[in-house]
Amino acid sequence: MTTATRILTVDDSPSMRALLNHALTSQGFDVSQAEDGIAALDWLALNEVDVVITDINMPRLDGFGLIEQLREGSRHRDRPILVLTTESSEEKKARARAAGATGWIVKPFDPAKLVAAVRRVSH
Amino acid sequence: MNAEEIQAIFFAECEESLAAAEQGLAACKEGTQDADTVNAVFRGVHSIKGGAGAFGFIALQAYTHTFETLLSDVRDGTVPITDPLIDLMLRALDTLSDHVNAARGFGETPDDAVLQAEMTASMAANAHGGGGSESGAAAAPALAAEIEVQHGSDDDDEFGVDFDTMLDDITGSIAAPGGSNDSSDESGGATGKPWQLKVRPHAGAMQNGSEPLLMLREVLELGGTCLQCDVSQVPPLDTLEPCTGYLGWTFALPGDVTEDAARDIFDFVGDDCTLAIGEDAAMPAMRMPAPRAPAAKAAPSPSPATNATPAPAAPAPVAAVQAAVKAEPATPAPAQPEAEQARGGPPAPPAQSQSIRIELGKLDKLIDAVGELVIAQAMMAQRLTGDGLAVTEELTLLESLTRDIQESAMSIRAQPIGSVFSRVPRIMRELSASTGKHVRLEVSGESTELDKTVIERLGEPLTHLIRNAVDHGIEPPQERIDAGKSAEGTLTLSAEHKSGRILIRIGDDGKGIDRERVLAKAIEKGLVAPDAVMSKEEIDQLIFAPGFSTAASITNVSGRGVGMDVVRQNVKDLGGRITIESEQGKGTTFTLTLPLTLAISDGMVVNVGDQTLVVPLANVVESLRPTATEVQGLGAHRAMINVRGRFIPVLPLYQAVGAIGAVERADLGVLIVVETEGAGRAALLVDAICDQRQVVIKSLDTHYRAVEGVAGATILGDGRVALIVDVDGLVARSLSDHMLAEAA
Repeated sequence: MTTATRILTVDDSPSMRALLNHALTSQGFDVSQAEDGIAALDWLALNEVDVVITDINMPRLDGFGLIEQLREGSRHRDRPILVLTTESSEEKKARARAAGATGWIVKPFDPAKLVAAVRRVSH
Repeated sequence: MNAEEIQAIFFAECEESLAAAEQGLAACKEGTQDADTVNAVFRGVHSIKGGAGAFGFIALQAYTHTFETLLSDVRDGTVPITDPLIDLMLRALDTLSDHVNAARGFGETPDDAVLQAEMTASMAANAHGGGGSESGAAAAPALAAEIEVQHGSDDDDEFGVDFDTMLDDITGSIAAPGGSNDSSDESGGATGKPWQLKVRPHAGAMQNGSEPLLMLREVLELGGTCLQCDVSQVPPLDTLEPCTGYLGWTFALPGDVTEDAARDIFDFVGDDCTLAIGEDAAMPAMRMPAPRAPAAKAAPSPSPATNATPAPAAPAPVAAVQAAVKAEPATPAPAQPEAEQARGGPPAPPAQSQSIRIELGKLDKLIDAVGELVIAQAMMAQRLTGDGLAVTEELTLLESLTRDIQESAMSIRAQPIGSVFSRVPRIMRELSASTGKHVRLEVSGESTELDKTVIERLGEPLTHLIRNAVDHGIEPPQERIDAGKSAEGTLTLSAEHKSGRILIRIGDDGKGIDRERVLAKAIEKGLVAPDAVMSKEEIDQLIFAPGFSTAASITNVSGRGVGMDVVRQNVKDLGGRITIESEQGKGTTFTLTLPLTLAISDGMVVNVGDQTLVVPLANVVESLRPTATEVQGLGAHRAMINVRGRFIPVLPLYQAVGAIGAVERADLGVLIVVETEGAGRAALLVDAICDQRQVVIKSLDTHYRAVEGVAGATILGDGRVALIVDVDGLVARSLSDHMLAEAA
C-alpha cells in the first residue's frame, strides 16, 4: 500500500466526526469529513475516495438517500460504503442493504473493529 | 486532538441538541406537530445518545435510549402526540439536561426511574406488537440491569459481545439466518481441532461495493489454507455473468481459530455470502443474481449445526441445513416515514447553518489584534493629517477596511441571545410546578446578537429576574381572577438593538411593586430614614439594596433576598444598567441595557483643560455652542440650558474630573447633550470636540482599579491614554451631589 486509503466520513455530529477522525487518522488513513448527505455529495463530486462511512439520521439528506444517490451515479457505484449508526433494527439494516450499503457498524464503535471493517472493504 | 477535546465538542453538541429538542417540543406544544418537527426532537436526543455511548456515559446512554425509543414511536406514529405526552417529553428533556450536566461532572446523576417508567408506560399503552419489543427498556431501576434489557432488545448481542467494551454489531448473523435471536454464544469458542469452512459468495456480495476476494484473503490471514475452489458452476464464457458468484471455496482452518472469528469476516455482507462449516457440509448452493426471489427458508434452527461444528471425523449431520439457501428477502421493508424522506422526497428540515468551531482563546487574540489595528490605523491617520495628507485616498480606504474587519471580528463573537432565552421555558416549567401559578411566556427578539461574554454572563441575572417576576410579580390564579385578570399570567421576554446597545426586557402582568410595603420594609431594615421622602423610582430602586426582601414568606424560589443586589451588580459588571417600570396592579418591567460588545466602542474625543477624555457616542444626543442667554444660572453652581424648550442641567466636566485650565463658561465652550439611563438628559461642558472615532476599551479595573465616573481607558491616535467617561454614573452622581450641596 503505497498511498493511504482515502476515507470520507459523513456524520452530522461534530463529536462523532472528531472521534472518527481521530480513530482513522491515527491508523494512517487519509480522512475527509462531511456533515450530511448533501455536503458528502458535493465533496464526492469533486474528490476521489476509497471508502465512505456514513451515519443514517442526518439533516438535509440522510444516509439512505446518500447511498442511493451514489449507487445511481456511475462514479461511485462500486465504492464501498459503510453505515455507522446507532440504529440497529433489522428493518433499518435491510433498508441500508437495499439502498446499497456495503456493511453496517453500530455506534458506539470500537476503533479497532472500525479499522478492521474499513480494511475489509478497501486495500 | 485528544480525548478531552473531543469530549468538549460532545458537550457543546449536547447543548445544541438540547436546545434543538427544546425548540421542537415547544413548537409541538404550540401545535406544530409535523414530521420535521418531531424528527428534529428525535435527532437531538439521538445524537446525544450516540455520543454518550461513544464516551462511555452509561447512565446518560441508558436514559437517552428510553427517551429515543419513545420519540421513535412518536415519529412513527405509534404513540399519538397529546398534551400530556408533550409535557412528559418536556420533563424528560429537563432530566436529560440534568443527565448531560452530570456526565459533565456538574451535579448528581438524576433519579430518572419515575420518568423512565412513565415513558415506558406511554409506549406500552400504544404498542401494537412491533413497538413493544424496543420498549423493553422498561423502568428498570438499576441502571446496569437496564442496559442489559435494552441491549437484548436491540438484537445486538448475538455473539455475546460485552456491552461495556463497546458494541460490535456488524450486520446479519449468518449463524441465525432468520435474524432469530437464539443464544448460540457457546458455539463461538475455539475447539482446538482444525476445521473446514466453505464459502460461497453470491452475486450480491459483489454489488454494494464489496469485494469477496478481500474477505477470502482475510481467511488466509487468519491462518486458513485454501483446499479447493469449486468451479463446477462456471458456465461457458458466452453466458458468463461477471457479477455472479460461480465459485465456492473450501478452507482449512487451524483449531485455535474460532468460528466467530471467521464469521466476523463475512458478517458484513450478510446473506450475500453463505457459509458452511464442517468437512462434510456441502458447498452452499449458488444463487443467481436476479430476481432476488425468496427461496425455501431454512427450516430448523441452525444452532445445533454450530454446536456440531468441530471434529472433521465426526460428520456434522445438520450442516447441510446451513447450506440451504436463505430466505430472507432483500427487499426493503414497507417504507417508514424516514424512508420516504430519504428518497429525496419532501425536503429535510431547514439546513443547519454551517459552522466551524474555534477555540475562544484564538478568537480573543484576533479581537485583540483587531483592536490594536484600529489604534494603529488611527495613529497613522493622525500622523498623515499632521503632515497635510488627510485627503489621501488610500487612507480613506484603509479606514473603511479597518472598520469592516473590526465589524466582522466582532460579529464572530456575537451570538443570538436565543441561546439564553431557550433556557427560560424550563425555568418557567419548574416555577409553575413549585408555585402553582400559571404563566404564559412570550418571547421576542431571540435573534438579537450580542457578545458571547455578555451572553454567557447574562444567564444568571436573567434567571433571577424571571424567578422574581413569577414568584413576587404574578399573583396566584384566584387572586388574579378576583382582580379581573385572566387566571394565567404572562411573562414577556424581549431583546432589541437600540442605539448601539441591547435592551432586554423582562415584564410581567402581575401586581406591580407594592411601594408602600417596600418603603416600610426599607425603613424597618434601616436602609432609609423613617422620614425620607422618596420618588416612585427611588422606592423601586430600593429592591436592589443588599439584604432587601419583601416576600412575606421566604420561598425556595426567589431565595432569601440576596438576589436583586447581585443581579444589579452582574449587570453593572457587563457595563449595563437595570431600570424598573412598575404600575400597581398592572405589572412590572425590568429593562437591562447592555453594551453590544465589551471591547470597542465609538467615542467622541473631547478636550477639557489639560485633559483629553472620551465620551461614548452611545450616550451623545447632540452637541451645541450655546449663547450666553441660552444658559441660565440656578444658584451659585448650577446652570440650565434651554434646548428647544426643554431645560437640561449643565454639567461642567472639568469639575467632575478636576481638570486644570478648562473653559468654565458654557457660552465659551461646547455643550454635549447626553442621554442617561437613570438621570435623564444632561449637557456636558467641554472646551472643544477634537474627534469622533472608534476606541478600544481597556479596562481600568484590571490595570488599576475601578474609578467612579470612569468606564475605562483607551489609547489615542497619538499614543496618549485617555479616560472614557462613564456618562450615566457621572451624571447621576453630579446631580445628586448638587442636590446635597443645595440641601446643605
